[in-house]
Amino acid sequence: MEYLTTGQEMSLMDKLGILTDAAKYDVACTSSGVDRKGNGQTMGNCAAGGICHSFSSDGRCISLLKILFTNECIYDCKYCVNRCSNDVPRATFTPEEVCTLTMEFYRRNYIEGLFLSSGIIQSPTFTMELIYRTIWLLRNKYRFNGYIHVKAIPGADAELIQQTGFLVDRMSVNLELPTAEGLRVLAPNKHRKNILTPMRQIQNGIQSNQSDIVLYRNAPRFVAGGQATQMIIGATPESDYQIINVAESLYRKFDLKRVFYSAFVRVNEDKALPALPGGPPLLREHRLYQADWLLRFYGFRAEELLDEKRPFFNVMLDPKEDWAVRHLEEFPIEINRAPYEKLLRIPGVGVKSAGRIVAVRRSGNLTFADLKKIGVVLKRALYFITCNGRMMYSTKIEEDYIVRNLTSEKERIMFGSDGMTYKQMSLFDDSSFQCAITPTEQLLTAVGQL
Amino acid sequence: MNVYQCEDSLEGIFTAIYNIYEDKSRPEDTRIDLTGELLLFARYVSVATDKGKALKVMNTLRRRFGEEDYMKICFALASTDEDKAQVIYKTVAAGLAVNCGIGHLCDNLADDSVHKLFSLFRNANNEFLHLRGFVRFQELDNGVLYSRITPKNNVLTFLMPHFADRFPMENFLLYDAGRNLFGIHPAGEEWYLMQDEHYFMNEKKLRMSERESTYQELFRYFCHRIAIKERRNTELQRNMLPLRFREDMVEFR
Repeated sequence: MEYLTTGQEMSLMDKLGILTDAAKYDVACTSSGVDRKGNGQTMGNCAAGGICHSFSSDGRCISLLKILFTNECIYDCKYCVNRCSNDVPRATFTPEEVCTLTMEFYRRNYIEGLFLSSGIIQSPTFTMELIYRTIWLLRNKYRFNGYIHVKAIPGADAELIQQTGFLVDRMSVNLELPTAEGLRVLAPNKHRKNILTPMRQIQNGIQSNQSDIVLYRNAPRFVAGGQATQMIIGATPESDYQIINVAESLYRKFDLKRVFYSAFVRVNEDKALPALPGGPPLLREHRLYQADWLLRFYGFRAEELLDEKRPFFNVMLDPKEDWAVRHLEEFPIEINRAPYEKLLRIPGVGVKSAGRIVAVRRSGNLTFADLKKIGVVLKRALYFITCNGRMMYSTKIEEDYIVRNLTSEKERIMFGSDGMTYKQMSLFDDSSFQCAITPTEQLLTAVGQL
Repeated sequence: MNVYQCEDSLEGIFTAIYNIYEDKSRPEDTRIDLTGELLLFARYVSVATDKGKALKVMNTLRRRFGEEDYMKICFALASTDEDKAQVIYKTVAAGLAVNCGIGHLCDNLADDSVHKLFSLFRNANNEFLHLRGFVRFQELDNGVLYSRITPKNNVLTFLMPHFADRFPMENFLLYDAGRNLFGIHPAGEEWYLMQDEHYFMNEKKLRMSERESTYQELFRYFCHRIAIKERRNTELQRNMLPLRFREDMVEFR
């Protein structure tokens, strides 16, 4: 196969710079999901929880060598920095360069593995083949046994995606935008159907591989770390309710391991894109991740968190607190008797602390002091729990009162400073405000609520 | 009160636990002391470290509490806390007395000793998990990978198996500068620890390989370019990657 000749005179440093820049908006890059011991011969192993090797100045984890194979692209997606109508420096790696970089970074313990995505060069199938060849080289010639995450290119030949799946630990297909409507407006070359097809194919591949492994222990593993996807938040007018519904159905119908949300960063000037004077909607992204956790680990359903009348998350309260103050009939919950599922619904109690509560109460009744040791955030939990029939302080089980207290301290000072009192804020809290991004939200984002 | 004075090591503390059971000393009247501080009205017993006894205790702990809880004890032993021997003894004695079963040693977090042991474990374990990612190897001109670390807890023993599993065919050397402790892994062989009071690592004498600075520079550049300006949040970065780790990391030099 011929590689493109453009940029061959470029130094490796320049290429790395350009292709890192081009890949940095991709968020689906954890190194988790696979536990693989080293084989005593070749380099590399994988830890199930993933390992963060560094953190960049935006506070995001650097775990994988996150690069594009090329940033040449035939598509013209309006939100993307690499769209073909943009005049940006273009570069293309050779498979050998990607492999050497990965190996040399890996043996110095800089990275946990490789994340390889690519702009669409010539055609989706051609691009996928380039990715496949690179990964094949890395696994078979350079004998790399660490973590590899690649993007499946929508529209590429199914057989290529299948073969790539046997070499990598995680695959992802970007959903890009939460609804087909948004996709049509901002990414005219991409179609919802094309995106969901490889997603379904990978899901089926993983399922049939699982039954193979039951039969033959040494059958090759297909995408052992599961598949992920990501959506851009805030580029199109979808509500949070729509977004978490999409996420929930992805988890349920496509067995995804993770759905990632990426706050829209306006890198292109385009009239179809929203102006974001307050910067990317980071608080919104944060709330979506919180809700995502509630869906995956806390047994919440999307329609419990939001509904059509209240389609956006509360700016002041996290989704769990918000749910709790709207369902005060469920509280207070008795710590010493409530089942595990109920404990998980208490704000300030997480998966770990709920598990610990269940373990500790076998050997005696718990007190509030014990809860503190266990790691329960009493500041938040105290309004919702009793220990041995008593509440911690004489607090009222009353929506207004609890909201006022939960949002006091930091937030109230912050809002008090520009002359706003809590009562004004409560307008936002209990009325269903429909606007997409409020100035308040932007303010919160700007002062670093994340 | 019987106070057992022992060496500050896994073997020393396990031997002390063995001797306590051998002497049938009652848990409420017994302390293990590492500091050498004296108490009034106490009977002092000095413990001579014995590998055989330590091994027996080790096997008992593994059998009765399971591998996972045994590792918790080991991590707690890696801390520098002066009370560690005492809290481990108390927790183990309580666990053995009620026959808590595999995986349930640290269940009763309401108990002070258990809670202390658990927090020591968590502290050392977190440092280990951090360093697993934050260790940076440099390639010397003879091809050996070298890294200097300065951890608070003695986690070198836990890092070595991780890296030996990851780089089986590399010669590498991990140096705990605070404890002057070397972890050495020859390619294709078992790793071992080495400590010499008279030998210190002199980093100035080390010669890097030719391409080493190229890759350091490439990685530094990568870390710089991967950050999104619009999301800049150095406070979050500092929470996730505390400053004390950064002096040994190439991308922050």
